[in-house]
Amino acid sequence: MSGLKLTGLRKNYGAHQVIKGVDLVVEPKEFVVFVGPSGCGKSTLLRMIAGLEEISGGDLTIGGVRMNEVDASKRGIAMVFQSYALYPHMTVRENMGFALKYAGESAANIARRVNEAAKILELHKLMDRKPRDLSGGQRQRVAIGRAIVRHPEVFLFDEPLSNLDAELRVQMRIEIARLHKELQTTIIYVTHDQVEAMTLADKIVVLREGLIEQTGAPLTLYDDPDNQFVAGFIGSPRMNFLPAVVKNGALTLPEYDGQVIPMPPVAAKLAEGAEVTVGIRPEHFRTGGSASLDLTIELIEHLGGESFAYARQGKANVITIATGTGRNWASGERIQATFDPASVLLFTAQGARVR
Amino acid sequence: MSLFSRLFSLLTQAMLWLAAFISVFPFYWMIAGATNTANDITGGKFTLGTNLIPNITKFFELVDVPLVFFNSLVVAIGGTVLTLIVASLAGYGFEMFRSKTRDRIFGGLLLMLSVPFAAMMIPLFVMFSGVGLMNTYFAIIAPGIASIFMIFYFRQNTKAFPSELRDAARMDGLQEWQIFLRIYMPVMRSTYAAAMIILFMTNWNAYLWPLIVLQTNDMKTIQLVVASLATAYTPDYGLIMVANVLATLPTILVFFLLQRRFVEGMLGGVK
Repeated sequence: MSGLKLTGLRKNYGAHQVIKGVDLVVEPKEFVVFVGPSGCGKSTLLRMIAGLEEISGGDLTIGGVRMNEVDASKRGIAMVFQSYALYPHMTVRENMGFALKYAGESAANIARRVNEAAKILELHKLMDRKPRDLSGGQRQRVAIGRAIVRHPEVFLFDEPLSNLDAELRVQMRIEIARLHKELQTTIIYVTHDQVEAMTLADKIVVLREGLIEQTGAPLTLYDDPDNQFVAGFIGSPRMNFLPAVVKNGALTLPEYDGQVIPMPPVAAKLAEGAEVTVGIRPEHFRTGGSASLDLTIELIEHLGGESFAYARQGKANVITIATGTGRNWASGERIQATFDPASVLLFTAQGARVR
Repeated sequence: MSLFSRLFSLLTQAMLWLAAFISVFPFYWMIAGATNTANDITGGKFTLGTNLIPNITKFFELVDVPLVFFNSLVVAIGGTVLTLIVASLAGYGFEMFRSKTRDRIFGGLLLMLSVPFAAMMIPLFVMFSGVGLMNTYFAIIAPGIASIFMIFYFRQNTKAFPSELRDAARMDGLQEWQIFLRIYMPVMRSTYAAAMIILFMTNWNAYLWPLIVLQTNDMKTIQLVVASLATAYTPDYGLIMVANVLATLPTILVFFLLQRRFVEGMLGGVK
């Protein structure tokens, strides 16, 4: 299996630059997930790797070979699309064997490889059906099967689970993870769903406005984000951000009636009066600790195993609190939300992490 | 049901019956006419008569039917196939390829739709006679091949063609022309079917332009023959109606064969 290397990769549409110089190394057999909000350029980057979009600048190498001008079909890549992109006039078998037929493979070889992929994905009973006769999950499996038969060096997945319902999405997510383990291939996967990113990735690449914000293992990004954007994007529900001012070696929260919380352990020296942003994950309230905030609960969401309280003070932003089961909490109740100051992250006014 | 809604329902039904009558009656009259003599028809007879066989016999005696039908079929099939190829390629191109000038060119084409054929008739005649193409099948077919309406129709329908199918085909190693042939054409078959019916009907029923460019009897199409039957001092309406029935049959046949696809195509179906 091959790795990829992106060096200063850029994409322009006229004067508008959508990918602004991306440097990335994808190791062989690595499962890399591109995440980011809509319009961040993750799908464009994937399409550039696939050969479906021209590369305006920089270099793309796959297995050490420069691929910038190489035709999409000759890059050793297979792609699974969001809408499955199965040919509607062909049966499952024809869909899966189509690329091989065009590559001039013998009929026997095509049949062998198609059957092999059908076995992996349990598609046997569906082989002579047309895509319109399949459910969403089955179509997605066929789309993956179509990619597998090509024995590609790299698999590309462009938001493959977006069109599925919640239950199927979980099933397919497990299926994709199993496939990666079984096939041992390099995978680049685009999603805007950070749960998919966290559960599938060996490495997550967080993108914003055509630039990489941070690259790292899922838990590294969760525990140790480089900036406020990554901290907000990774983790569900989203991290709470509270504006604060450094005063007497502690943090005063002006929007929360001037409540004071202890300064988390950071090496950087913060000047008196410096404006910072405090980041507390909802789940950090669950474990409790020596610091606390006085808040009033506005709304409670009970999910069964977990409950989320949405609380605030005055006109300040709502804070999400994971409460565990939290069944005895009620709307309108005043609470003391406790947390460990060591788990708090600090960011500068510009959003950079204070370590 | 309230009195108002019952009245409304009755009125709607009456309107629909009237519309159906207006659409179907001329067709029935044509068939009834084919079975009657000219005197019966001009006398106002609307029921079926007994003169069908003599009318048909007379028509086959007067007209070289196989030749006339052959001419019409060459023009209709040739015109339909060539227009389908050109219009679908153009529609595909206009929709699939980004270009700064694309919409300006397309706007220009749409503007040309407002130029009536009567205004182009003489320049076309001069052009075709200049290159020595008068009295040929190609002369009848050529002006309609780049049908702007059909290009517009294909472009609009191509908007429903999923761009990811094109991407998938590119990943599978197909060149653009192969994507068009192997993916676009089969996927858009309903659009093609609807266009085929419209084009076949238009080409089969073409009258004015063939009348101008065809100069010898051996090249005449069925529509010109029907018209020539009506120009006699005392037209034989029974004979004319037989000719009309025969002239209508191929269009009806094509419509019934492609009926389901026609409806899908007009609804912008991608199957």
